[in-house]
Amino acid sequence: MKRYGLLLFLFFVGTTPAWAQTVEEIVNKANLASYYAGKSGQSDVVMTITDAQGRQRTREFRILRLNVKEGGEQKFYVYFRRPTDVARMVYMVWKNIGKDDDRWLYLPALDLVKRVAATDKRSSFAGSHFVYEDVSGRGVDADIHELIGDEGGLFKIKNTPKEAKGVEFAYYFVWIDKTNFLPMKAEYYNASGKLLRTVEALEIKDVQGYPTAVKSQATDVERKGSTIIDFTNVVYDVGIEDGIFTERYLRQPPTQWVQ
Amino acid sequence: MLKRIVTFGIDRPKVILWMTLLVVVASLLSYPRIQVDTDPENMLPDTASARVFHREVKQEFAVYDMVVVGIVNKKDPEGVFNVETLTKIYQITEEIKDVPGVISSEIYSLSTKDNIEQGGIGEVKFDWLMAQPPASREEALAIRAQAQDHPMLYGSVVSEDGQALCLYIPVERKDLSYRVVQDIKKIVARYPGDEEFHFTGLPVANDQFGVEMFKQMAVSAPLAGLAIFLLMWFFFKSLVLIVAPMLVAIATVVVTMGLLIGFGFPVHIMSSMIPIFLMPIAVLDCVHILSDFSEKYRFFHDQKKTITAVMDELFSPMLYTTLTTFAGFFSLSFSAIPPVQVFGIAVAVGVAIAWALTMTFIPAYIMLMDPKKFSGFRKTGDEEKSPYLDKILSAVQFLVSRHAKKILAATTILVAVAIYGIARIQVNDNPVRWFAPTHSLRIADRVLNDHFAGTYEAYLVLEAADKSEEIFIQPQVMRYVESLQEALLATGLVGKTTSLVDVTKKIYYELLGGDKVNNVIPPTKEAVAQCLISFENSHKPDDLWHMTTPDYSKVNIWLQLKSGDNKYMAKVVKFVEQYMQDHPAPQAMTARWAGLTYINVVWQNNMVVGMLNNFLGSFIIVLFMMLFLFRSPVKALISMIPLSVTILFIYSLLGFFGKDYDMPVAVLSALTLGLSVDFAIHYIQRISEVNHHTKDWKKAATEMFTGPGRAIIRNALVVAIGFLPLLAAPLVPYKTVGFFMFTIMAFSSIATLFILPAIVYFKPQWVLDENKKTVSCHCGSCMLVALFVALAVAYVLLGYTPLGWKATTWISILVIVGLAALCHIASKRNICFNERGEK
Repeated sequence: MKRYGLLLFLFFVGTTPAWAQTVEEIVNKANLASYYAGKSGQSDVVMTITDAQGRQRTREFRILRLNVKEGGEQKFYVYFRRPTDVARMVYMVWKNIGKDDDRWLYLPALDLVKRVAATDKRSSFAGSHFVYEDVSGRGVDADIHELIGDEGGLFKIKNTPKEAKGVEFAYYFVWIDKTNFLPMKAEYYNASGKLLRTVEALEIKDVQGYPTAVKSQATDVERKGSTIIDFTNVVYDVGIEDGIFTERYLRQPPTQWVQ
Repeated sequence: MLKRIVTFGIDRPKVILWMTLLVVVASLLSYPRIQVDTDPENMLPDTASARVFHREVKQEFAVYDMVVVGIVNKKDPEGVFNVETLTKIYQITEEIKDVPGVISSEIYSLSTKDNIEQGGIGEVKFDWLMAQPPASREEALAIRAQAQDHPMLYGSVVSEDGQALCLYIPVERKDLSYRVVQDIKKIVARYPGDEEFHFTGLPVANDQFGVEMFKQMAVSAPLAGLAIFLLMWFFFKSLVLIVAPMLVAIATVVVTMGLLIGFGFPVHIMSSMIPIFLMPIAVLDCVHILSDFSEKYRFFHDQKKTITAVMDELFSPMLYTTLTTFAGFFSLSFSAIPPVQVFGIAVAVGVAIAWALTMTFIPAYIMLMDPKKFSGFRKTGDEEKSPYLDKILSAVQFLVSRHAKKILAATTILVAVAIYGIARIQVNDNPVRWFAPTHSLRIADRVLNDHFAGTYEAYLVLEAADKSEEIFIQPQVMRYVESLQEALLATGLVGKTTSLVDVTKKIYYELLGGDKVNNVIPPTKEAVAQCLISFENSHKPDDLWHMTTPDYSKVNIWLQLKSGDNKYMAKVVKFVEQYMQDHPAPQAMTARWAGLTYINVVWQNNMVVGMLNNFLGSFIIVLFMMLFLFRSPVKALISMIPLSVTILFIYSLLGFFGKDYDMPVAVLSALTLGLSVDFAIHYIQRISEVNHHTKDWKKAATEMFTGPGRAIIRNALVVAIGFLPLLAAPLVPYKTVGFFMFTIMAFSSIATLFILPAIVYFKPQWVLDENKKTVSCHCGSCMLVALFVALAVAYVLLGYTPLGWKATTWISILVIVGLAALCHIASKRNICFNERGEK
């Protein structure tokens, strides 16, 4: 991806000055920087959900990712470790471009593999304040982008959904780091301009040369409450194979990848 | 000493006038700060444990105060489930999300909740139930089928009969609900059609009540003023003369309300009735003064001399009647219900203000009047002649003098029957019924109850006794909750219950392929946890936390009762208690209630017990006052008879006619005591006086049916008719108060005029004892006093300390014995013997 990004960069440098990147370029780079680092990736995740009353619960899982196509299709495998009641549960997502994702669910207590229909990506990720789209990325074609500002080393971009159906917000702003193109903050607003939720990158680390957000927070501004995701043991290009992301491996988790 | 203020008014009338005006204007200054409180929750102190828990539940389970928008479509055979109506509902819901004060993410509508359903083959689908309006009739009906299959929507959002819908709009604060409803009404008005929209929900009812309350105050209070004015015109036929009491009444009301508002007390349903109570009471003493003045002026022909004589004569009876009235209202301050306390104290203060004004303003006013004006009323001064009254009075006199024993026997029978009736009294209240049956809220209530199994919400919170976590995802505990819910439905009082169990079962069978055979609790705790986390991947994962806590240490069962009547809620509470006793839970657990329907039950219980206490309290206080006034325990007891009979009789009517003993009725019991004893005071005082002059009790008794009888009836009429305009109020509690006050005043004046003379004819010495000896010389009287004291001690101990009935009994008996011994010793003192010896 880095190479690809560099190519893109060179291509655009040849045609336009560096400071005059179009908003589409910025958005594309941000999409790649935040969701497509490496050909594949693996991480341990601790998700701390804090509700409006300050009650906390945590979820721990291993997440595996494989890019099928740079900037395009991806596959995710989420293996739950805690709480113990839900240990060995698996979510699997095939992220598709231009059509609904494919999702599977494995419930070990019932030994049940179930396909889950995903008509939109705005549903909660495991009860947290993150939605599926925050975890797997919102299609860059879904919104109309406008570069509306340049604030302290960050591009401020306004994004308005092309299709208002299936989203709970009317528009959102994203602040993208000019140097590494990681989105640092997003704010979602409703039609009357009320702030609904925010997503922020709290900590960035360099992992194998990829700037990586290792701590993020999603906040429900309207109802209060927020979720913090901590990524540890992040490794890219782990050589994970496509065959892992199949129904077969839901019942029998690939030991080498989930231990 | 007190009389000095009267002299001051006579000597410096202008000062009094200006001072009165100053005080009235000063009171008016506080009016802009008026606060209205229409929340039935405030019937309990803010710190009451039921309210504290209610707030905890609201917070812990994120339960909000909801405005309910009911939608019905009578034209379509499928009700609201057609393309056009659902499209409107969709759009209206979208618009409501932007109404300020609405918690948009928590709206309950078809388009704001997720459904769990079967997708493609082997696929489960978590999706908005109505992501967009249906395109065809089939789609509309499919939406209905799905909603009816959803435990969180069936019976709450979509009606059991599939015809009607309710949107539940949570509001940030209760006091925003009226404005929110107005905004929603504007939105709805832009979608005309066959649909009917109904607005209900307790916050709406409360806010609506506030609006109606002001109407009531603006209509009933002036009407009461007018009625009293007309009545006085009828009595005195002199405009100049009756302007004075009207001014006293208005000033009393203005100053009292000004004080109430100035001290920061909100105007509650109870305190909004203060003007209506104060007006007739304020006028009463003025009527006495004016009556007496117009009579005496004929002899004196001098303002100052007349008014001095009048005030001299009337000062002490007016002081006593004022004190008893004051005591009656003040006894309400011992109530456990804050708005009732405020009302009682405010009216008591108002009574005192009215007295002060009567003592100062009226003499001052008379002094400032042009003496020529008196020549006018001297002609009409013979207003004593009212042929109807006299005819009635002489008929009563005839009856009583001949059938005294029969009347007393009839009274005894009446009391016995009344006690039977009182035993049948049903305690019940329902804030929705505070509105007249034709009110839009009552209509909404009826329409929605036609379609939905239950619209009155209560919450039952279960928690492990040892507070351990994760117990409510254990299958055996869930099965217990399930059977409790089933039992609740079987009582017939509950229309619907919703809990974590219902939602878990729904998720479970949908995950397993949608076969209802699997509509059961999952077999293991892990399976339950995994079902729930699957649900958490929906758009509304937080819906779970309305029903349980994230550590699964508590469940919140939502109950929808068929009626908001407190008596049904009380039955449900009792049922659950009994059920949990008969069927021990697999894990020891506590059950606690929340929800406004339950809160109402709690304050109602306080009210019944509290009011009985107040009643006894004011009875004892008034009894002591009578003792002090008449210096005879027998007379004191006799003076209490007519009002006791009245109250017993009136309350027995509740039992016989099946009218609920509700808030207004409860409050009235204590305060009527202080008002209706006035008749007896007047009667006994006057007959003693007359008897003292004539030394012939028969003559005295007969004379009582002329002047004094007329005065009593006139007084009764002023108060009774003063309350009648409340019948015109749009709110039911005011009507009840109006009817009751009218009936009580009317009946107690009649009772006084029958029972007291009957006693005089039966045993004249009881009432007309001319004995000058002190009470302590008469062993029997002394014993009676001892009994009163013991009663008072018992009351105080029972009411204000945690001592039980047993301890109180013993203490009371000890007091009686001790005092009896004292009586015995006292009655053998030398003075007593000397007096007896003289005789």
